[in-house]
Amino acid sequence: MKFFVCCKQVPDVAMAFQIKDGELQKDDLNYVLNAYDASAVEESLVIKDAVSELDLSLVLMGAEKGKEALRKGLAMGANDAFHIEDDAFEGSDSHAAANVLEAFFKDKEYDAILCGKQSQDMDMGLTGGLLAEKLNIPYVTNAVGLEVNEEAKSILVTRQGDAGQEKVELSFPCIVSCSNDMNEPRIPSLRGIMQSKKKPMNKVSVADLGLATDAVGKSGSKSTLLSMDFPKARKAGEKFEGEASELVSTLIDKLTNEAKVL
Amino acid sequence: MSKILVIADQKDNKIKKSTFEVLSEAKKLADASGSSLEAVILGEAIAQEAKVLAHYGVSKIYTVENSMFKNYLNRPFIDGLKKVIDASSPKLVMVPTSESVKDYLPGLVGATNACGIMDCSAVSLDGGKVQIERPLMAAKAVSKMESSDDLVILSIRSGSFDAVEADTSLSCDIESVDLGTVDIKAVFKELISAQSDRVSLDDANVVIACGRGVKDKSGFELVEKLADVFGAAVGSTRALVENGIAEPSLQVGQTGKVVSPDLYIAVGISGAVQHTAGMSNSKVIVAINKDEEAPIFSLSDYGLVGDLFDIVPKLTEAVKELKAN
Amino acid sequence: MEDEKFDCIIVGGGVAGCAAAKVLADNNMKILLVEKGEWTGSKNVSGGVLYGPTPWEIFPELKNTLENPPFERFINRRRLSFMSDDSSFSIDYKSQKYDNVPYNGVSVLRSKFDRWLGEQVEESIAKSDFAEDSFVATEVMVEELIIKDGKVCGIRAGEDEFESDCVILAEGVNSLLTRSIGLQKEIVDAKYVATGIKEVWQYDQDLLEAKFQLDGLEGVSNEFVGCTKGIEGGGFLYTNKDSISLGLVLGIKDLRDSNETVYDLLDSFKDHTSIKPLLKGGKMVEYSAHVVPVGDIDMIPKQLYTDGAVVVGDAAGLVLNTGKSIEGMNLAMESGRQAALAIIEAKKKRDFSKASLKSYQDRLSESYVMKDLRNFQGAFHFIHNPDMFKKYPDLVNSIMNDVFLVDGQEKKKTRDIIKKAVDESDLSYWDLMKTSIQGGLSL
Ligand SMILES: Cc1cc2nc3c(=O)[nH]c(=O)nc-3n(C[C@H](O)[C@H](O)[C@H](O)COP(=O)(O)OP(=O)(O)OC[C@H]3O[C@@H](n4cnc5c(N)ncnc54)[C@H](O)[C@@H]3O)c2cc1C
Ligand SMILES: Cc1cc2nc3c(=O)[nH]c(=O)nc-3n(C[C@H](O)[C@H](O)[C@H](O)COP(=O)(O)OP(=O)(O)OC[C@H]3O[C@@H](n4cnc5c(N)ncnc54)[C@H](O)[C@@H]3O)c2cc1C
Ligand SMILES: Nc1ncnc2c1ncn2[C@@H]1O[C@H](COP(=O)(O)O)[C@@H](O)[C@H]1O
Repeated sequence: MKFFVCCKQVPDVAMAFQIKDGELQKDDLNYVLNAYDASAVEESLVIKDAVSELDLSLVLMGAEKGKEALRKGLAMGANDAFHIEDDAFEGSDSHAAANVLEAFFKDKEYDAILCGKQSQDMDMGLTGGLLAEKLNIPYVTNAVGLEVNEEAKSILVTRQGDAGQEKVELSFPCIVSCSNDMNEPRIPSLRGIMQSKKKPMNKVSVADLGLATDAVGKSGSKSTLLSMDFPKARKAGEKFEGEASELVSTLIDKLTNEAKVL
Repeated sequence: MSKILVIADQKDNKIKKSTFEVLSEAKKLADASGSSLEAVILGEAIAQEAKVLAHYGVSKIYTVENSMFKNYLNRPFIDGLKKVIDASSPKLVMVPTSESVKDYLPGLVGATNACGIMDCSAVSLDGGKVQIERPLMAAKAVSKMESSDDLVILSIRSGSFDAVEADTSLSCDIESVDLGTVDIKAVFKELISAQSDRVSLDDANVVIACGRGVKDKSGFELVEKLADVFGAAVGSTRALVENGIAEPSLQVGQTGKVVSPDLYIAVGISGAVQHTAGMSNSKVIVAINKDEEAPIFSLSDYGLVGDLFDIVPKLTEAVKELKAN
Repeated sequence: MEDEKFDCIIVGGGVAGCAAAKVLADNNMKILLVEKGEWTGSKNVSGGVLYGPTPWEIFPELKNTLENPPFERFINRRRLSFMSDDSSFSIDYKSQKYDNVPYNGVSVLRSKFDRWLGEQVEESIAKSDFAEDSFVATEVMVEELIIKDGKVCGIRAGEDEFESDCVILAEGVNSLLTRSIGLQKEIVDAKYVATGIKEVWQYDQDLLEAKFQLDGLEGVSNEFVGCTKGIEGGGFLYTNKDSISLGLVLGIKDLRDSNETVYDLLDSFKDHTSIKPLLKGGKMVEYSAHVVPVGDIDMIPKQLYTDGAVVVGDAAGLVLNTGKSIEGMNLAMESGRQAALAIIEAKKKRDFSKASLKSYQDRLSESYVMKDLRNFQGAFHFIHNPDMFKKYPDLVNSIMNDVFLVDGQEKKKTRDIIKKAVDESDLSYWDLMKTSIQGGLSL
């Protein structure tokens, strides 16, 4: 079997960041492998451990730095990585990403492509479904569990839906967008980190994919990010300490007379 | 401006509150830009319910009825909506976010070659351009975005807009669209339903959410009792879902649901950004936590520093008493 | 299977570990740098002025980064303030002499600066013969040293064990591994450790530059005495690019003996009339606490090496507390460099025994590290005089108050002012004389 995981490198959103003149200050950010993509890698590795014949490749579209995210996935246990690298990718939205990935996958053989359900920085969650539509293959998002049936050439996906957990069977080839509720990604071992340096990291250029530079990045995007800002901060309100019964009567009083929500 | 199309979201053939929020805002936008407003609803048996959409100033309603909508799969939605979009040819499509919408919308955006933007919190029209606001970076920042594409499809974050009063005197044309045959490469196998009698998170005015602080099932039940006296929905952090104490459908946050009730009570929740990303727009936030340094206090209107096992039962009693009078 | 053995494994990716690794990689050694944090520096807290030329020598790339440096600002203005409850008296020195590379001091935010250092190590590795066989491994915690026949010969992390000719222990102040092989005392007396607390306040960069009168990359460092309610220690404030780091360093022993909490002390420091207005317009974005050696030469192990291992930086207690400032990072980097050079020599001799690695300690003794530590030992005891943290700052302020006071009364002569102030304080002239002689000799 052959799986790909689409990996994006994103700023660590748990860290403090700065916005100046409407722009995110990129210098001080710490970049990581998107947590949802890490879950997709982890799930593939679990399958790989069970099936052993699974060949797992990673693909990332992005700047030079992106190789660190790929390296992380390789250290976790993927076989090899493809780094579609070009300065022209700066400012890509999900549409542009899907275009590039479509060009990449067009002539590739695969049984499944796993994506993250969304990127932690943009929280967009478009790329996987868009890519599936372009490649004309079925997809499911928000997967919290995968079971592969190699003989039937299908995957049984458990997804978190509106009415509960839905189990959907997709035949190969297909795309599954993974939730981080699927698993806890492993932290690479020291040996894994060492091995990752020797695994193939294939560079791919926009030209290799037969794409014009204006089909990618900002000009290949359908939406433009105009500006960023901090939301109106909620002010910390009052904090009460004391006996439980006092606390409760204070709260009831506040909710009734001040906030008027009771 | 030409036309705005709202995709209605329904559950058990009843239109959800979030749809009315979106319709109300779409109507404002339509009026301000001289556009017309249309709506579409898909489901197993929604012909009756569809009429309600007219009460929000919609000039035409499309219905797509089919038994295929019984169990959710994305393909029928993509195909059905593509047909309606082809027929209506709107400039802007708006739909309230839900797990199903998050699933089918990327495919619909691809199928219609539209510009898609998910989870918007504000929308405006500027000539041929659609401008939106949406949170990002785990809702620690907001962004302004713009598209001048011919077709822009937006999903709308719940609680972003207020629903106006329905005007039941209004009515309009309803056109039924035939779904036709759908080429489905996926098979629906099973629904592991987590339905309970309690109000769902999406519709709740009050949410009582709990985190790792409740420790175990019995602590969780304390919170359920509190929710019951409030008539509230129960929410949870990822920590409790991971432990198998709370149902996955209760998870609030970046990975889970986004809620903005009138009152949100966070019980034993530390307030990690990935959690607050899903609740920071609630109108009034109360936090109960024994750690006075817990980050959740920095966005709470009222913070109770203390042991939830002491406070919650007393609060339950007090609310019960209050409601009885 | 290829030979996996490393020339050297470095435990800890702080400034000391990165400096050592850089020098080793530049000299074509096969190395493994192991850091438990998410990236080099991710766990590091410090008030942050890195003094002297050492970093510029080990990382010459630094001078090509001035457009967008990994450090925050260069320090060309230094202030020392004596605080009493309601006043403060400062000595303020600014000089253009400090405007050129290598700067006399630069302010750094460690999680950014150390990350850059780690990247530089990677670059040096990439240029070495061991591009694929040397590593910077993060998110890996070294749990144990492997010892065979009394000689350190590798590390264990989880299930993985790796061998090396020698190990550099650059693990910082909580030196578990160093203690496990007896290079550091099992229990360090509380009088040798202080607790450092720090907040980072963020500003709009223009506002910050206006507030602190900074032009371009210029920065100011300000140390404070008298702000600790008599507890041994002091305060600091450094300007970063668009933030300031401020905090207190407090002797753990004194702190324990007092009724004060760290938070209350920090709050009253921030509330002081000379600090409060500075915080206006800023936003607190980070809070952290960390232990720091107080800089007593008695705390430094007599022997910083053993068979197959050397210890550098904070793990070796190499911190200089001059009373004007803490110098830890520069000493850490210098000790890392000297350790690396000793190991390169040892590699040539193929001898990593105690006898061979002793050259590290010899080198260190020759370098400014030990010289400074010895020279300032007097200062150390001087500033550890408890009166330094309360009575003297109060005295200075009471004098200055009378000097500047205009109250419609006949002005007093300076001599009388001093006499009155000394009489009112419970310091004797003898104390004062003793202190100034001591101070003069030791500082
Ligand atoms: C990519 C990603 C996505 C994520 N998405 C989500 C998401 O959608 N939703 C989500 O919730 N999390 C999400 N997380 C996880 C999130 O980062 C936190 O780990 C999680 O929210 C913590 O849950 P908690 O507050 O219940 O637990 P903790 O952080 O452990 O907090 C428990 C709190 O309970 C308090 N407490 C303990 N005992 C008592 C007592 N007796 N009385 C009162 N208080 C008590 C403690 O003081 C503490 O503050 C995500 C993480 C990642 C990496
Ligand atoms: C509040 C405060 C203010 C200070 N101000 C200054 C100042 O202005 N100027 C100055 O020069 N110095 C200052 N110092 C001192 C300075 O921070 C230290 O001297 C310096 O950081 C020492 O560097 P190091 O590399 O030896 O140790 P550290 O910087 O502590 O690095 C040790 C590294 O080892 C890692 N590690 C530890 N154990 C393991 C393990 N088992 N496996 C893997 N990794 C491990 C840690 O994660 C860490 O990254 C200050 C200190 C404090 C606390
Ligand atoms: N630049 C990229 N390179 C590879 N995969 C990507 C890229 N951008 C997005 N993806 C994939 O698409 C998912 C959803 O991204 P998004 O639509 O940006 O929220 C991510 O989790 C990745 O799996």
